[in-house]
Amino acid sequence: MRSIPLPEGKNNDMLTSLTVGLGEIKISRDPGEVLVAYGLGSCVGVGLYDPVTRVTGMLHAILPSCPGSSDGQPSKYVDSGIALLLDEMRRAGSDRKRLVVRMAGGANMLTAPGFTRFLDIGSRNVGMAVSTLAALNLKIVGQEVGGNIGRTVRLYVADGRMTIRTAGNMEREV
Amino acid sequence: MDTNQEKFDEKTLSRMAEVAGVGINNAVEGISRLVGESLTVSTPSIHVAQLTEIPDLLGGPEAEAVGIYLRAEGLMSGQIMMVIPCPKALELVDLLMDFPPGTTDHLGKLERSALAELGNITCSYFLNAISDSTGISIRPSPPAVIVDMIGSILDIILATADGLTETVLMIHATFERDGRGTQANFWVIPDKNAFNPAAGREE
Repeated sequence: MRSIPLPEGKNNDMLTSLTVGLGEIKISRDPGEVLVAYGLGSCVGVGLYDPVTRVTGMLHAILPSCPGSSDGQPSKYVDSGIALLLDEMRRAGSDRKRLVVRMAGGANMLTAPGFTRFLDIGSRNVGMAVSTLAALNLKIVGQEVGGNIGRTVRLYVADGRMTIRTAGNMEREV
Repeated sequence: MDTNQEKFDEKTLSRMAEVAGVGINNAVEGISRLVGESLTVSTPSIHVAQLTEIPDLLGGPEAEAVGIYLRAEGLMSGQIMMVIPCPKALELVDLLMDFPPGTTDHLGKLERSALAELGNITCSYFLNAISDSTGISIRPSPPAVIVDMIGSILDIILATADGLTETVLMIHATFERDGRGTQANFWVIPDKNAFNPAAGREE
């Protein structure tokens, strides 16, 4: 495999953050960039990385799948978002067989009694991501999902590393 | 998106602004009773915001905040979230407990429970005022308190609104007591068609 050297003398402070907003997909192959989805609650962040071409992409999906009355934005949903992410990764030059998959998010933010009927959006998002990725023969190598905490997720283009930060805590690797 | 535009047309918005103004004033009366001292509220500002722009209005999606969440059921249904950025929440606890400013430096169990009670009373008085002025019965659920990143608090609305609601009614109010003040924001997210009865009463 052809390897690309890491940018020399680069530390986190010198990297450029590319925000992956609600219901968005971002793709980068610039090793000086890091894809960031801030404050994921029940949303999920799915990160794909091709270690050879360094094509890196992240999806910030809100809901598991498109309800009947769609507003036509596939990246808002886990199932259609993953398909679109793969497509954009391919067009940017990634090889599907090499893709490294990590994901984070899918928390249950409402734990108080009386809200049980809303409880499962986070886990439904995670479940949909797991089954969609499995159907595409993509293996998840790392994840931090569930619980009841918000997470900021970073995916580093230079080395494909995914990190998580929760409120009041330091960044840690998945 | 047509649904949202219908929901927040100018007529509905001005009617809601009027009702929300009454709601906020009533809510302050509730807080005054809670703390046993008179609080005042500045004229609340009301506007319609896109869900996606909310985090930036409140200091970014990673900023920590306290969210107090209730659901309203009845003839008019929807969600209401009172959001206070963390530094403001600490000030608010000082204000509620009559501590000198800067006393509260973290949100422990007691502080969270004080804020939950504040949210509960505020939102209940708010909904009662709306109920009284429209003649529509609204029942609030018990409150849920979330202390986390603003983005993840917003996810609650996104998830429960089933992704269909793209706009919220944002009410910004400043509470004052003895010259000390602090701000709170309310997000009011009516369910689909929740305003129809209210609009009907205007005729």
